[in-house]
Amino acid sequence: MSDTSTRRALVEAEGVVKRFGGLTAVQSLDLALWEGEILGLIGPNGAGKTTLFNLLSGQFPPDSGTIRLLGQEIQHLPAHRICRKGLARTFQVPRPFLAMTVFESVLVGAQFGRRVPGASASETAAACLALTRLEPRRDAPVHSLNLAERKRLDLGRALATRPRVLLVDEVAAGLNPTEVRETVGILREVHASGIGIIYVEHVMEAVMDISHRVHVLDHGATISIGTPEEVTRDPAVIEAYLGRSAGS
Amino acid sequence: MSPSPWRALLLGLAALVVLAAAAPLLISNPYASRLAQLLFLNVLLASAWNLVGGFAGQISFGNASLFGVGAYATSMLWLAGFHPFLTMPVAAFLAAVYGVVWGWPCLRLRGPYFAIATIGVAEATRIVANHVEAAGGASGLTLPLEEDLGPVLLYAVGAVLAVSAVLVSVAVRRSRLGLGLIALREDARAAAASGVNVARQQVTVFAVAAALTGLAGGYYALFTLYVVPEKVFGFDLSISLVLMVLVGGIGTVLGPVLGAGIYLFLEQFVLASLADIHLAAFGALLIFIILLEPRGAAPRLVQLVRLIRRRLG
Repeated sequence: MSDTSTRRALVEAEGVVKRFGGLTAVQSLDLALWEGEILGLIGPNGAGKTTLFNLLSGQFPPDSGTIRLLGQEIQHLPAHRICRKGLARTFQVPRPFLAMTVFESVLVGAQFGRRVPGASASETAAACLALTRLEPRRDAPVHSLNLAERKRLDLGRALATRPRVLLVDEVAAGLNPTEVRETVGILREVHASGIGIIYVEHVMEAVMDISHRVHVLDHGATISIGTPEEVTRDPAVIEAYLGRSAGS
Repeated sequence: MSPSPWRALLLGLAALVVLAAAAPLLISNPYASRLAQLLFLNVLLASAWNLVGGFAGQISFGNASLFGVGAYATSMLWLAGFHPFLTMPVAAFLAAVYGVVWGWPCLRLRGPYFAIATIGVAEATRIVANHVEAAGGASGLTLPLEEDLGPVLLYAVGAVLAVSAVLVSVAVRRSRLGLGLIALREDARAAAASGVNVARQQVTVFAVAAALTGLAGGYYALFTLYVVPEKVFGFDLSISLVLMVLVGGIGTVLGPVLGAGIYLFLEQFVLASLADIHLAAFGALLIFIILLEPRGAAPRLVQLVRLIRRRLG
């Protein structure tokens, strides 16, 4: 487990609850992302991972609980304010601006995201295109991009907002092994540049490969937290994914 | 997608020079004069509508409510003794204020919900205007004929307004505001997640569009000298703007200009003899265009110009 006394939390969620009608999607959840960390967030389908991302990024507010970004409470802020405070996200299914070119899409993030003195918006956008290997497609219309490129574009647009924290939602799903390796490589570069990452993923080799810690959800609650090795040995995790063995 | 700022400004000046050169022909008789005025009016109105409907993707059927405010502001202040030209900035300002008053809540809605809300607002505005006795009620206001407000001056004012509206379109399209609008039109959730303040961007561009629409109302009062709620707050007017832009090319700078011209041509020449069925005929044209050329006339024209250039060069 991390030494909590010396490391600063980038994101802290405490007692977060979200209900949809009779369904409690997230129940009294605590979660922390420490500085310099890649936190894997896994769990079976319907565990509440994407709901949690929507809560953290301000898509909708929690019913109760607090969410802090760099020590500041953000649970009541709208999505664009949270983005400007330094938390960006990608979407499980990419949400491209189809009528734009690749460069324009990334420029949206650079022009409207967190303000940082120094590089201009177009310089930031160009750097993010280079990082996400989209430079050759710079002036291509977005509707001509394939799935792998659209996923990287989502990532590039999020990075262009110059986040401190990046929420990555299933960026490897549906990609072939080469594309998965490329994507994992990009995430490593993002991490190396000092951005904290919370990474939701079903592709286990990707998430176990690069996460420092893994937070496991089931039915909206935490069932395990630890290093990738620890959580994969945890009986609670095995049970959530595979079911209880007939003998026990 | 649209010309660079300097080229746009040069093209704007060129357009004004061409319009000035064409002036002797276009003000040679009262009918030609009126056609030119209506063309300038349509270009101004359609370009303003396209800022919201084309760039932000919010289809308004209620722009007559803004046009009417501008028309009445100019008329009432003129009758109160102010110089008609001085009333036009006030017309723009009041229309912008009214636009923000109803646009701010309505723009929280998207798609068909926004469209329906705009119909409600515009119809309510028309009905109220019919009952304001201080503004002439249902019989409207008749304005004085002034010697110094002749065809030359009206032509010049209209030309400047129309060209300005197109330049505003170019400026918005190329600005940070324009980028944010296209983003929220394509995907409001993704835009918000990228830092775009969806509500504020929409209200900002709606205020600009409302001001231009109010100016159009003021200009209309100057050359018709008669405003009446059924006309200036009328649903027909709101619909005609949607038709113009869809026919010309929604979301483009050139589309509203082309659409304004096509609409005027059909209204005046082809359909004049058919009187009241002109809206039905225009509806048929719209269906034809949506089926065969859903992006409107502008993209096809741009293609044609490029083809000719390639042949020549």
